[in-house]
Amino acid sequence: MHKFLAIVLFVLSSAVFADEPVGRVKTATGEAFITSSGNKAKAEVGSPVYQGSLIETGKNSSLGITFKDETMVSFGANTVFTVSDYVYSPSDGKLKFGSKLAKGSLNYVSGAIGKLKPEAVTVGTPSGTIGVRGTQFLVTVAE
Amino acid sequence: MKSMLPIFKGGLALAAAMVLGGCAPTYYVDRVGCPAPCAPVPDSYVVLIPSPDGTVGNVVVAGEKGEQVLNKSGQAATLSGQPFAVDEKRVKDDFGAAMAALPRVPVRYVLFFSEGVKLDPASDAEISRIVAEAKGRPAVDVTIIGHTDTLQSIEYNDKLGLKRANRVAELLRERGLKTESVSVQSMGKRNPVVSTPDNVFEPKNRRVEISVR
Repeated sequence: MHKFLAIVLFVLSSAVFADEPVGRVKTATGEAFITSSGNKAKAEVGSPVYQGSLIETGKNSSLGITFKDETMVSFGANTVFTVSDYVYSPSDGKLKFGSKLAKGSLNYVSGAIGKLKPEAVTVGTPSGTIGVRGTQFLVTVAE
Repeated sequence: MKSMLPIFKGGLALAAAMVLGGCAPTYYVDRVGCPAPCAPVPDSYVVLIPSPDGTVGNVVVAGEKGEQVLNKSGQAATLSGQPFAVDEKRVKDDFGAAMAALPRVPVRYVLFFSEGVKLDPASDAEISRIVAEAKGRPAVDVTIIGHTDTLQSIEYNDKLGLKRANRVAELLRERGLKTESVSVQSMGKRNPVVSTPDNVFEPKNRRVEISVR
């Protein structure tokens, strides 16, 4: 299982382009937005997510995203989440997934980056940092 | 005894907090043994749950109250790093919407080629299953990576791996695959699933790996 993962990852590294999406919206309810490179757009199933994207869900809204390395994140209502740092280039050891949860609720399932380089996966919150070592967890940040 | 230890420790910490802190916030240390009045579960916290594959990894919560490693399902900590226990109902209340929005877990497939770009019959039959799996997914992304055994040069095998991956992409499209994106790549002979010396025939390495997410 792990071996297979490592193999998959190795290859993906050869196709890293600066403005290639790093993830995609797979589930969406209610009104949510993604701001990438200063452009704010309504988030719908199929919407791309980039390194640096700011994701916001509104009242009675939720959103689920799957990233290239198979990391999955999903949010409940009134959430603000930033993909601060996403690097997926395993052949030269460049792996990083840094994110920030400013408020709201997050369900996080770590993917290949978390398995290959756990120390490179972090979720920042207003009062600390969560280091992710290959697992699923939930975080809620009150306003 | 071993399983009692964290609760015992928690109890001590709580007692210490009560003695030293007076009005300092305390948290549930154990649902059953929780002394009244219990402080409420904090508004902001982290809780560990099992991964979709059933395994439980760990998270490290680091903040001004210290560093807390969570490594058991259901363990929780405040964002500043202080452990406490939370019950299932509360988790459901706080995270039901986020949990319901989780995408489907990605699926991976391996197809084999005994020769050139000709798929083995069993793998050929798998193509339709992959198409069906992708059809059931919203905004599906697919990655197709070709691999070879170690016969011939790196250059030769990089090309062969790409031919295999392209062949699979073609078959998937012919049989109705529709996606948001397909990424086709080759690792050539650089990532064998079975390690062999150079120039060795190994059918298990003549393969294409597919990630559907």
